[in-house]
Amino acid sequence: MRAFVKDISHYFVLFGILIASFAGLILFSYDKNFQIAVSLALALAYISWGIVHHYLHKDLHIETILEYIVIAFLGFVIIFSIIIRT
Amino acid sequence: MRFLRLLRHLFIPHESNNQKAKLLHSSSLAILAVTLIAFQLVLGFAHRAFPKVLGYAANISPAEVIRLTNVQRTANGLNPLSENSTLDAAALAKGNDMLAKGYWAHFAPDGTSPWSFFLSFGYKYKYAGENLARDFPDASSAVTAWMNSPSHRENILNPNYEDIGIGVVEGSLAGADTTIIVQFFGTPLSGSPSIPVAQAKGNTTATPKPVPVPTLIPTPVPVAAATLNQSTIGASLSFISPFTSTKNISLLVTGILILVLSIDLIVVRRNRIMRIGGRTLAHLAFFGMILAVILILKAGQII
Repeated sequence: MRAFVKDISHYFVLFGILIASFAGLILFSYDKNFQIAVSLALALAYISWGIVHHYLHKDLHIETILEYIVIAFLGFVIIFSIIIRT
Repeated sequence: MRFLRLLRHLFIPHESNNQKAKLLHSSSLAILAVTLIAFQLVLGFAHRAFPKVLGYAANISPAEVIRLTNVQRTANGLNPLSENSTLDAAALAKGNDMLAKGYWAHFAPDGTSPWSFFLSFGYKYKYAGENLARDFPDASSAVTAWMNSPSHRENILNPNYEDIGIGVVEGSLAGADTTIIVQFFGTPLSGSPSIPVAQAKGNTTATPKPVPVPTLIPTPVPVAAATLNQSTIGASLSFISPFTSTKNISLLVTGILILVLSIDLIVVRRNRIMRIGGRTLAHLAFFGMILAVILILKAGQII
């Protein structure tokens, strides 16, 4: 919890990315291409957030970057699968 | 015992998995992502190979759309609408016209209006209305979506209408497999239904022609064809909806990941485990947002 409070500004940015992406996916539900673009932007933003956050923490490692890439890719695959089936 | 050890290895940080649930290792997550992609490829292949098992026209019968529409009307103190076979045929022609010309709109790209289908099938209207829906897994979801939209709701609950006609068509629209529901409302001009059904025969390609004088020819061939088409769709009921199966799989995967991440968060904090890796809280927020998207996104569009 202490780490969370210390990094509250980082998490504000993260929650901003998540909320903006969520709003984009819902508000533009009539435009699949836009939704896919939003999902891709979300994945890239999440990876970027992870890299910047760990860089500022001075604990950025290749394993960490890989973890964010894989998590972001998995998230993108899940949202993309849903979008193409709506 | 061995099974419990395997579960612990997969879901709980422990020495066996280097203090991180095996499921959260990058390799496991990558395998999960590849599995989901493979699932989608299989689903796409199966839909093409077995269209009667995996399809988009899950349980959409015109009769059910009419029944649910009338349920809404009677619940709001209005008279139920009568199914009109001419409107059924006109609605089916409108649906086929959309597939043939590749548009998803009330008006065709060439300017053909929905009302021209009424007239070309010999339904002279005093009042007329149209609701459109596509890609819904069942009639209930489509009617619910219409009721949630003020303009479509206004059509369903319009006291001026007396008749209803439904057309359900399946096909490819702009390269995507789709099921379209066309809902026509009307009130005949004379107060009694004008049924120059035979006029419809030459107009099934939806070229609007004014119907000057209703010529009553007793063999309603186009209507019979329309009924056949629609019942065919009813017969090819899908047992598995690609949207529902994708949604369920996505919910399962995301739910498990959220659970494992929550366990990880608690165990790592409690045991003060130091390790190299991403922030569990950030991953939790990320998958929490994805869970919300899965729950909110629904199949189907209305206009």
